[in-house]
Amino acid sequence: MSSEQATMAPLSVAKPTEHRSSLLDRFLMQGGIVITFLIVAVVATALVEPRFLNRLNLTNVMRNFALLLIPSLAQMLVMTAGGFDLSVGAVVAISSVVTAAVMLVGSGYFPGMEIAIILLSLVAAIGVGVLVGLTNAGLVASLSLSPFMVTLAMMSVLMGIALYFTQGIPIYGVADSFITGVGRGQFLGLPIVLHVALVVLVVCIVMQRFTALGRHIYAVGSDLRSARLSGVATGRTITIAYVLAGILAALTGFLMTSRLGSGQSTIGGTLALETIAAAVIGGVSLRGGVGRAEHVALAALFLAVIANAMNLVQVDSKYQTLVLGAVLIVALAIDRLLLRKRQA
Amino acid sequence: MSTPSGTKAQSVGPLSGAAIKDMLLAARLPIAIVVTLVLFGLVEPRVLSLGNFRNIAIQASYLAIFAMAQTMVILTRGFDLSLGYTVSLVSVAASMAMVAMGGGDASILYGIGIGILIAAVIGLANGLLIAGIGINPLVTTLGMANMVMALASTISGGFPVTGLPRGLTAEFAQGSLLSIPIPIWFAGLVYALLFLTLKATKFGRSLYIIGANPRAAVAAGIRTLPVLVLAYTLCAVLAALGALLLTARTGSGEPNLGGNLTLEAIAAAVVGGVRLSGGEGGVGAALLGALFITVLSNGMNLVQIDGYLQQICLGVIIIVSLIVNRDVARR
Repeated sequence: MSSEQATMAPLSVAKPTEHRSSLLDRFLMQGGIVITFLIVAVVATALVEPRFLNRLNLTNVMRNFALLLIPSLAQMLVMTAGGFDLSVGAVVAISSVVTAAVMLVGSGYFPGMEIAIILLSLVAAIGVGVLVGLTNAGLVASLSLSPFMVTLAMMSVLMGIALYFTQGIPIYGVADSFITGVGRGQFLGLPIVLHVALVVLVVCIVMQRFTALGRHIYAVGSDLRSARLSGVATGRTITIAYVLAGILAALTGFLMTSRLGSGQSTIGGTLALETIAAAVIGGVSLRGGVGRAEHVALAALFLAVIANAMNLVQVDSKYQTLVLGAVLIVALAIDRLLLRKRQA
Repeated sequence: MSTPSGTKAQSVGPLSGAAIKDMLLAARLPIAIVVTLVLFGLVEPRVLSLGNFRNIAIQASYLAIFAMAQTMVILTRGFDLSLGYTVSLVSVAASMAMVAMGGGDASILYGIGIGILIAAVIGLANGLLIAGIGINPLVTTLGMANMVMALASTISGGFPVTGLPRGLTAEFAQGSLLSIPIPIWFAGLVYALLFLTLKATKFGRSLYIIGANPRAAVAAGIRTLPVLVLAYTLCAVLAALGALLLTARTGSGEPNLGGNLTLEAIAAAVVGGVRLSGGEGGVGAALLGALFITVLSNGMNLVQIDGYLQQICLGVIIIVSLIVNRDVARR
C-alpha cells in the first residue's frame, strides 16, 4: 500500500511527513471525501425515491454524468497546470453551433454520405477547440496574463460569436443517424456517450500516472519556476494542457448536439461553474499541481446524482442552482477544516 | 516596447522623448477615452453632443460604483463573482419591501434598509468563508453567486416587481442637485470616501499590504480576518447602493438586473489598471476604467453595432488592456 501511494503521489505533493500518515489521512488523500459524498447521495436518493434505481433513470444519470465528466476533465487539465478555464461552456456552445452548421451545409453538398458528414463536423468542432486552446495558451503562457481574465474575456468573445451568427436560434438539420446513433445510441447496454467519456477518463488517468506529459503538467502547475529550471518545456506543457481542454470541450459540444438534435448557442451557460465544482470537489487545487482524473470523475458522478435526485423529487430548477452553489461551498469548507485539523 | 532598453537612462531632461512617452503612458486611459469619443463622433455626430455627455456621465456612475466596490476586494487578491447577482437580489428584495409597506414615499427608507442589510449579510458570509475558513475567493463567491441568483429569481418568481414609490425614481434617478444628476453625486461621494479610506486609514493600507504579500501582512501584525471581512462586506454594501440607484432608474425591481455586471465591473477595474494579483491600483483607476467602457458601449449603441458584436468587442478590449497594462507595469 505504501509503495503504491509513493508511485501515485505526484512529485510535487510528496510531503516529508507522509510516513506518519494515519488511516484517516490516507483515506482523505485518496478521495475519501468524494467517495463518502457519492455513497451518501446514492443511498439517500434511492431511499427517498426508489424510481432512482429504474434502468431508464440510471441510463439518464449515466448520460448526464458523461456529458459533465468530459468538460470537467478539461477543467482539471488546465487547473492542474496552474491555470483556469472559464471559457469551457462557451467552447461547448460554439462547437455545438459549428457541428450543426457543418452538417447542415455538408448534407447539401454530399447527400446520403451521413457518416462522412458527421466525421467532417467532428473535425470542424475539434478544430475550433484547438484554436481556442491555442489562443488561451498563447495569452496565458507567452504573454503571462491572468488565466482568469483571459478565459473570461474569451468566454465573452466566443459567446458573442456564437450568438451573432445564430442570433440565438437553434440550427436544425442535424443528420438523423447522428441523433439515433450517437445521441441515443447504446453499446453493451450503456449509452455511447458514456463509453466516449470513459475512454477519455482512462486516457487522462494513464497520461497523469505514466507519461512525461502528465508529470510535466503537475510540475508546471505546482511551481512554474522550478519546473523551468529542471528543464521542463513550460510553455509547451501549458499550451498542450489548454489545447487538450479545448478539444475535450469541443467534443462535449459535439456530443451534446447529438443529444439535443440541434446546434444551440445557448447551451453551456452553467458549465463553467459545474466543471469547476466537479474539479474542486474532486480535490483539484486552485493553486495548481494537485488533482486526479479518477477523483474528478467521482465528483462529476456525485453532481450528476444529486441533480437527478432533485429532478425526481421535483425540486424547482432555480433551487437546483442554489443547492449546487451550497454544495460547492460546503464541500470545500469540510475539506479546509479537515486539512486544518490534520495540520494542527 | 520596440524601443531599446536604454531609453530609461537617457531620460534626464524634462522634455526628453522618454519622459514624454512616460507621460503619454500614464495618461493612456484619458487619451483612449478622448480618441474613442472622437472616432465615434466622426461616424455619428450625436456622440459629441452635450446631452450625450450627460448620458455617458450618468451611465458611467453606476458602473463606476460597481467597479470601485470590486476594486476593494481585488486589492486583497480577492474577487467578488457574486456582485452582479447581489445587485439583482437587492433590487428585487428592496422593491418587494417597498411594495409591502404600501408603496408610498415613506417606504423608500425601509426598502433601502432591507437592501443594504441583505447585501451586508452576503458580504459578511463571503468574508467569513474566505478569511475565516480559508476557501478560495473565486470558488466561494462563485458558489455564493449561484445561491444569490437562485434566491433573486425565486422570491420574485422571475418577474419584475412593479408598483414602486414614485419618489424613488423622481429623487434618485431623475433628480439633481446643483444641476448635477443624483447618480453622479453618489459615484463622486463613493469615490471620495474610498479614496480617503485607501490613502489615510489603517484599514486602507492593510488592504494593499494583504494584497501585495499576505504573509508579510501577518508578520506585520495585521489581523487579516477582520480586514478581509470588512472588505467583502463593504464591496457588497456598495453593490447594494448601486443596485438601489439602478432600481430607481428602471422603476421596478428586476431579477435580471445584475446578470452582466460582475464581468463589467471586473473588466472596468482591470482596464483601469487594478492588478488582479493584488496590492496595486486604486478607485481612481476603476473610475476611469468604468468611464472608458461606458464611452465605448455608448458609442457602439449610437452607431448601432449589434449587441452580440459589442460582447465580442468587450472581450477583445479586456485582453488588449491586460497586455498594455502588463507592459507598462514592467517598465
